[in-house]
Order: sequence, then structure tokens, then C-alpha cells
Amino acid sequence: MKNRVALIFGYNDYALEIAKNIVDSYNKIYIYSLQSEQDTVKNSSEFEIRSFDLSDKWDDINEFVDIKHSIAFCVLEDNAENIFLTISLRSSFPDLNIIALSNNKETANKLQMAGANRVIPLVQTTAEMIAEMMEKPIVKEVFHNILFENSTLKIAQIRINGTNSYIGKEIIELDWDKKYGVIALSIMYENMRNEFIYSSIIKHYRVKEGDSFVIVGYEIDIKEFEKIVGSECD
Amino acid sequence: MDFFSRLIVNLAYFLNTSDGYQQKKRFFYDILENNRYQPKKYFDLFMMSLIFLSVAILIAEVKNDVHDFIKFFNIYIISIIFFIEYLLRFWISSSASEIVISCSEHDTMLGRRFNLSRAVLKILKAKSKFILSIRAIIDLLAILPFFHELRLLRLFVLFRVFKLFRYTTSFQVFASVLSTKKFEFLILLMFTSIVVFVSSVLVYIMEANNPDSPINTLFDALYWSIVTISTVGYGDVTAITVEGRTVAIFVIIAGISVLAFTTSIVVSAFTEKLDEIREIKTVDDIRKLKHFYLICGYEGVAQEVAAKLKKQKVKIIVLDESEHRIASAKKDGIVALNYDPGNIESYRKIGVDLNTQVKAVLCLRESDVENVYTTLTVRSISKKVNMISLLMDESNRKKLEFAGVNEILYPKGLVGMISKELIGRPVAFEVIHALRNDYYGVSVEEILVDSRIHENIIYLNELNSISFKIVLLGIYKKDKKRFFFNPLENTLLESGDYLLVIGNSAFIKEFEKYLHKKIRT
Repeated sequence: MKNRVALIFGYNDYALEIAKNIVDSYNKIYIYSLQSEQDTVKNSSEFEIRSFDLSDKWDDINEFVDIKHSIAFCVLEDNAENIFLTISLRSSFPDLNIIALSNNKETANKLQMAGANRVIPLVQTTAEMIAEMMEKPIVKEVFHNILFENSTLKIAQIRINGTNSYIGKEIIELDWDKKYGVIALSIMYENMRNEFIYSSIIKHYRVKEGDSFVIVGYEIDIKEFEKIVGSECD
Repeated sequence: MDFFSRLIVNLAYFLNTSDGYQQKKRFFYDILENNRYQPKKYFDLFMMSLIFLSVAILIAEVKNDVHDFIKFFNIYIISIIFFIEYLLRFWISSSASEIVISCSEHDTMLGRRFNLSRAVLKILKAKSKFILSIRAIIDLLAILPFFHELRLLRLFVLFRVFKLFRYTTSFQVFASVLSTKKFEFLILLMFTSIVVFVSSVLVYIMEANNPDSPINTLFDALYWSIVTISTVGYGDVTAITVEGRTVAIFVIIAGISVLAFTTSIVVSAFTEKLDEIREIKTVDDIRKLKHFYLICGYEGVAQEVAAKLKKQKVKIIVLDESEHRIASAKKDGIVALNYDPGNIESYRKIGVDLNTQVKAVLCLRESDVENVYTTLTVRSISKKVNMISLLMDESNRKKLEFAGVNEILYPKGLVGMISKELIGRPVAFEVIHALRNDYYGVSVEEILVDSRIHENIIYLNELNSISFKIVLLGIYKKDKKRFFFNPLENTLLESGDYLLVIGNSAFIKEFEKYLHKKIRT
């Protein structure tokens, strides 16, 4: 039987941190190592270590992984190997969701070209957090709580369904903050293009069925809002 | 120890432990010698004004009648001020009481009787070192116009100009740069002296007996030689005999060599010292900064942090012991110093107050060992300054905390948290990432409600944020340390609150301006 699994390529601190954080979301987590024998000996984590080679054809993965609903993390420390791994996985599994780690902009671009769905720009994100800690400590604290901590304040993505009363209304007319206690941050059109609703270009855009909104609000308000206007996507 | 010696030693101990005496001495030291002491700048400006005034009066006196008071001012008042300054410099140049105490303790330790004459000798030696220094001699010569009856001494007013060296750092830098080439200048001087001496004697021998030649004395010959070797060549005194002109040819060639050699020495001195001069200037500029971030290390994350803070027009200074990384920082347009952030001497050289001038010290080396070392160094100077550090290995977290870091950022842990968000709420994560980075011109900002804003705006509904097309995400109450999301319109605004607003960056700036200008009606 094929499982919904997370495949993490590279045995290092990044892999272990990722595994720890996503363990509840997948049936099984496999960490793939280029030096599996050594890494299995030193492995003290609960996760299974498997071996792989950059020249692999990944036939065994096809046998037990539900590719469409699984995810792969490419976190090899060598940039060139990481890009090669990403392109190798993409060429074998067009539907696999691949997230790759990059240390700089150049690698990030190459990883995207190699077929990664998302790239975590490690240096940039770390720098962003530090700069925010310095100049906008409150913004940092609020966003950190919304994203990473178990705060009652949540961020969610709501898709507008067909029966919604807001269909046809202009963005400028939305009164969700007063009515439902949620604040919309951005809109994602059906073609997956994302835009902030504060942009002056879209204030007269009319809401269509299938549009999604990213909203911030208390958990209870978001659930209430979801019932009224649509369905939560994530 | 006889009575007189004991009296002197007791007096020395009294002066050395007297707070009032030491404070006064410290004050005069700061005002005269300590470049980091802010009031010294004003004192220097005052003294420079006196110098220029003195020279201006001297020039005016040549062909005009100057008012008696101005003469009095120039001769007496300025001279007395300079004399007082000279005495103060003489006083602070060394401590006689310390010398007496040191000699007395030394003799006691060796079981000898205190030798007052040895102590006096040491004091005289220390004081004469000051008196014979070039600067002190110039100071003394600048006072001489006081004895204006001796007309020649009036010209000593010009020595006051040399005093400018004391008050302007650029002159001091110029002198220090040239002093590095003392040996080369000495050789040049010897060469020039020999050429001038030989050529003067030769041309005197060749020309002196010729009735048509303007060179009749050895002084004429010396004058001709110096004018020729310096390549000035006035032409008022020239050699007319074939032999004399032959000497002139050699002197002219030697003159060109001397000029070229002098130029090359000066240029090479400045080239070699250029980095040092720039460093002095950079340190000087840093000392003037009121608030800035000190970034220790200039590797990947540090480069990004510096770029982001620079974009926000925040002042940052980078310290790194690697010349290569410092060159890279300078190339990125960042003020950087090639100092080791783990060395206490680096902070002494910069001479900034970590408690008041530095907003935070960021230890951003990609090595926990280096970051712990830097943290301990900074903490040994300041317990107060805010410190943030990168953590490369989770097992070192406690070491960094123990060293005294206020906040720690662990990039590997961050990757784990981001991964969780990316599989759970990818769009939401990207939206917040975009907001944080001011993509598409939309950003999130925090605005402090100061007492002025609070005086004019009491309730949230008076903010009028809608007309600026910005959204109030919430209020952070600093006293309660709590964030209130989407607050009600009748929420009371308090001084010290922070408004978190989202919108177009330009509109947010306008909104902030409006809040500060708004007057309650």
C-alpha cells in the first residue's frame, strides 16, 4: 500500500529539525543519507535512515510512496549536490511536492529552475528575522506567534464558494474586520496569482468564485467566518 | 626621613588622593589633550580663533594705525591666555606627586632612606622632557610677543600659526605621515647639503675673481646654489664663467633629482598610510554617531542583515578580523573596521560608549566559539548593551546564554518551523514573508504612540487610518506586554502603545506624519 510520507534527503541538523516539526503531518518520515552506514550508527533520533545515491532511479520510492500526497525535502549541505538531487527527483516524479533549502540567491534560483516547488532561503530568512528583531520587535513577535507558536491568533486561507454573498462585491467594500473580526491580507486569484488587498490596483476588483483570501483572526472567528463565506484551504 | 622630606611625601599623598585636585587635573587634561572629550572641540576652536586674530592684527599693523585696545589685546590678553595654556600643559604633562610617591615607596621597599634629591631629579627630567618637546617650544615662542618692546620678538606672532598643529587633527595626521619617512628625509637632506656645500664652494672659486660675475661672496654662492638646486632659479644671481656654468649644469640635474625624490617620498608615505588615515577618519566618524548597531563578523547572514538594515537607513558598523571580509563590507558601502570583535582592544580603539551609543551588538559569525568569545568580550565592557547572536549548533545554546546573550537565533530550528508552515499553510506563510520584506510596496510597520499623538488622539476611531488606505492590525500595549488584534473603535489609546499597521509603505509614512501633525479640535 502506498503511504503519504515525507522524504528528507540529507542527514544533518536541518533534516532532524524538519522531521521533528512535521512528524505529526505524515504517516512516515524517511531520512535519506548519502553515507547511510555511518549515519545509522550515530543516529539517535526516532526516524528511519535509508541510503541513496545521486545516480539512483528511485524505483523503490515509487513502490511505497503516494507521490501526489507526499513531500520531499532536499537539504544536502553541498549546493551542487542539492540541485542535482532536486532535478533528479523532479525528472522522476513530476507530481512530487519538493521543498529545497538554499544558502544564497544564486542557489535559490537554480533550485527553482531544477523544479523545486518551494525554496527556503535560509540566509535571507534568518537575516530577515534578525533585522525585524532589531527594528520591528513587535511585528516580529506578533508574526512569530501567528506562524510558529500556539497562539489563538491564526492565519488562514479561505476559498470563496459559489453561494457566497460577497461574490461580485468590490474589495474596497469588504467589511470583514468589523463584521466577523478577521482582517484580510491578500487575495489569491484562481490562476494562483497572489496580491495584497492594500494594493491600489485591486481595490475595485470584484470577488469571484474560487478566489482565496489570506486572513488573520482569532481561531474562533476564523471558524465562524469559514462557515459563512467559504471553506478553509489550509 | 627628615622633616622636610616627610612633608613633601605627605603632600604628595595628599594631592594624589585629593578628589578635588585630581578632578581639576583630569578636567584640564581632557580639555587640552583628550580628543574624545566633546568640549575640547570648542576650546580648540577658541584657541584657533585667537591665533588667526593675532596674525590678522600683525598684518594690519604693518601699514595701518591699529587702535590701542586691539594692540593691548594682541600683546597682553592673547599672550596671557597662551601663557596660562602653557602652564596648564606643563602641569598635566607629568605628575610630580606620583613621582615622589613612587620614589618613596621604592626606597621603603628596599629599606633605604627616602632620597628627596633623586625624586626632584626625576621630576625635573619629566618636566624638562615636556619643555624641550617641539610643541612646547612652539608654545613658548608664541608667548614671546608679550615682550613687544623687543621689536623682533613681534615676529614671533607667526609662531602662533604653528600652534595650529595642536588644534587640528589633519595637521597632526600630516605630520605623523611624514614622520614615518624620517630616514629617507634625512638621507635626502644629507645629499642636498653635500651638493649645496660642494657647488657653493666650487662656484665661489670659479666666479669670485671675475669682476663681471654677481657671485662675489661665499653667501652669494650659497644663495645661488640653493636657488638653483630648488629648481626655482630667480636669475638675479647667475654663473657667467664656463666653469661656473658647468657646475650649474650638475646642480640643476641634482635639483631635479632632489625634487623627484622628495615628491616620491611624500607620495609613498601617504600611499602607505592611506588605509591608516582612512581608519582614523572612520573611527572619528563612528565616535560621533549617536545610535548604531555593531555587527561582529561579515559572513552570509551578517551580509544580509547589514543590507536589510542599511536599506532601512539604520546606521551599522561592521567589525571583522578578516581583511577579505572587511573589503567585501566596504564594497557593499558599509562602514567597516578590520578589528577583531573578540579583542577588548578593538573597542578601546573605537572609543564608543557601548551603553549609550550602541543599540545592539549582533554576533553573526557562523561559529558558536567565535560568538561566545565575542559575547564575553563585549559583556566584560558592558553588562547593559543588548546582544543578539546566531546559534549554529543547538548544543551550544546554554553556553551563549551563560555568556550573556539576550536573544538567540537558531537558523536550523527556523528551517524546521518554516517547513511545518510550508506544508501546512504555504500561501499564508508566503504572504507574511512578502509583508516582512516590503514586496509589492506593501509592508507592516509599528508606530509608537508618543505623548504628542496621545494628546490629540484619545480613541482609536480618531485615527482616521481608512482615509490613508491602511489597515490597523492591532495595538501592542507595552505595559501589559500584550497584543490586541483588530481592536474595537472605542479602544482608549495610551502613550507608549504601538500601532501595527499594514499598507502601502508610502501611505504608512504619510499616516505617521499626519498623526504627529494632527491637532485636537
